[in-house]
Amino acid sequence: MSAVVEVKDLSKNYRTVTAVDEVSFTVEENTIYGLLGRNGAGKTTLMQLLTGQEFASSGEIRVFGESPVENAGVLERTSFIKESQKYPDDFQPKHVFASAPWFFPEWDAEFAERLIADFRVPLKRRIKKLSRGQLSSIGVIVGLASRAPLTFFDEPYLGLDAVARQIFYDRLLEDYAEHPRTVILSTHLIDEVSNLLEHVLVIDEGRIIVDQAAEELRGSATTIVGTRAGVDSFVAGREVLHRDHIGGLASVTVGRLDPLERQEAAELGLELSPVSLQQLIVQKTNVPAKEFEVKS
Amino acid sequence: MTAVQTPTAARTAAGSGSRVIPVVRLHLVNRFSMLVLPWIILGFIFLVNLAIWWIVMSAVGPDADRADVQEGLQWSGASFYIFVYMMVLGVQAIALTFPFALGFSATRRDFWLGTSLTFVLLSALYAAGMTVLALIEVTTDGWWLGGRMFSALYFGGDAMPWYARFFLFFATFLFFFFVGALAAAIYQRWRVNGMLIFFGALTVALVGAAALITFSESWPAVGTWFVETGAPGVVAWSLVPTALAALVGYVILRRTTPKNS
Repeated sequence: MSAVVEVKDLSKNYRTVTAVDEVSFTVEENTIYGLLGRNGAGKTTLMQLLTGQEFASSGEIRVFGESPVENAGVLERTSFIKESQKYPDDFQPKHVFASAPWFFPEWDAEFAERLIADFRVPLKRRIKKLSRGQLSSIGVIVGLASRAPLTFFDEPYLGLDAVARQIFYDRLLEDYAEHPRTVILSTHLIDEVSNLLEHVLVIDEGRIIVDQAAEELRGSATTIVGTRAGVDSFVAGREVLHRDHIGGLASVTVGRLDPLERQEAAELGLELSPVSLQQLIVQKTNVPAKEFEVKS
Repeated sequence: MTAVQTPTAARTAAGSGSRVIPVVRLHLVNRFSMLVLPWIILGFIFLVNLAIWWIVMSAVGPDADRADVQEGLQWSGASFYIFVYMMVLGVQAIALTFPFALGFSATRRDFWLGTSLTFVLLSALYAAGMTVLALIEVTTDGWWLGGRMFSALYFGGDAMPWYARFFLFFATFLFFFFVGALAAAIYQRWRVNGMLIFFGALTVALVGAAALITFSESWPAVGTWFVETGAPGVVAWSLVPTALAALVGYVILRRTTPKNS
């Protein structure tokens, strides 16, 4: 596999904040990435930097081996769908779908029509009059049907109902299987997409704190539940990621356990359970679970 | 769903990269707003004017009064609206289409070139329409009512060759497009602060110029210049600020991150 995106010591400073702080990572070809983090962690800024919309303060960005800034050859292979996209005045969805193929060489009109039917987007209504969910649908359709080798989705489904979100996940996976490409998806709904993601990048306060294969990450922690004394003695000397007590019971999250340790825990009468991606990231970014469920 | 069907010929060749023509097509994709609506509004204004001319001409009696009214109608500002409309299109091209085109992965360079080309095309189109209307107006002696809308005095009156009329309209449209685009580019880059400084500087410059002319007692000279240069000459000079706005607009936008909120 080859790297589609290479980022080295990338920083973006605004007058009062550092949105991206000396970040380095690579993105491999034909993989679905999750870019996760709290509101204001720097997800959108990072994606704007990778698509040449924002300008780096320092560091280096290579997309398809070149700087993306004002680089038509790179950008035409890139699609960046954001929740807050602006549309020209008086535009109707049909204008968006009519003009998209002029910009995306891989655009599939048939696929777009299928998606328009799936999401029930009204083609001849002014975009200003559409609901939040319908607006998101337009972005999702453009992002999928453009089939750009590098596709960014920044919070693509604000206002979409559960059915529409499921359609998005299904269509993304189906189309990805037939037309492999690199997808970078930023979202708050971590558990919903966790089966979709192959690699996870977690950004917190402008820094990448997790850069790991999703499979590896999912097995990287275990929650141990049992009597307080039993759990405490088992985890003594281990790095504890998270700890909860209810009465005489304890629930403690630790790192990876090998089979021998699992057996030992079972013999002590402790219960082991996997930690969901969302819980893990919540613990790593050290915030109450609620924060992630609040939609921005 | 015929609305979304796209001819394969419309596809840009992969690898070519340049999106100048796609940007032009993007500006014009909503044909009604860009090409139809302005004429409808202009048509309505024209009809209202026609009615007014008719009422006025019916009310005044002797020929001397009629000549007087016709003299006054030379100064009609009825068609100014269309220039302001083009300025609004110039503003919207940057305020709304710019973030959208970058969302479609266009470069700022291609966006600006495509947008400039669109302005030139629209200016030519609208100038051609206005020229035809002006010629009809002159030929029919003001739509048989002595009215003036497309051949008002600042558009060169009634004694002007068609190509001079076309150039006059064309350059004026270009001026309004690019000045609108420049103001919107400043806003896109620096938001409210940019606007305050821009209009502040503009006001200071205008007041300064007025003061300079007043204190040096050169108002008559300025007047003479305008008279001597004539409408086509003044409009030719407007190409200087127009070109400057086009250039500065690009320099500003080249380092601008599209604002989406």
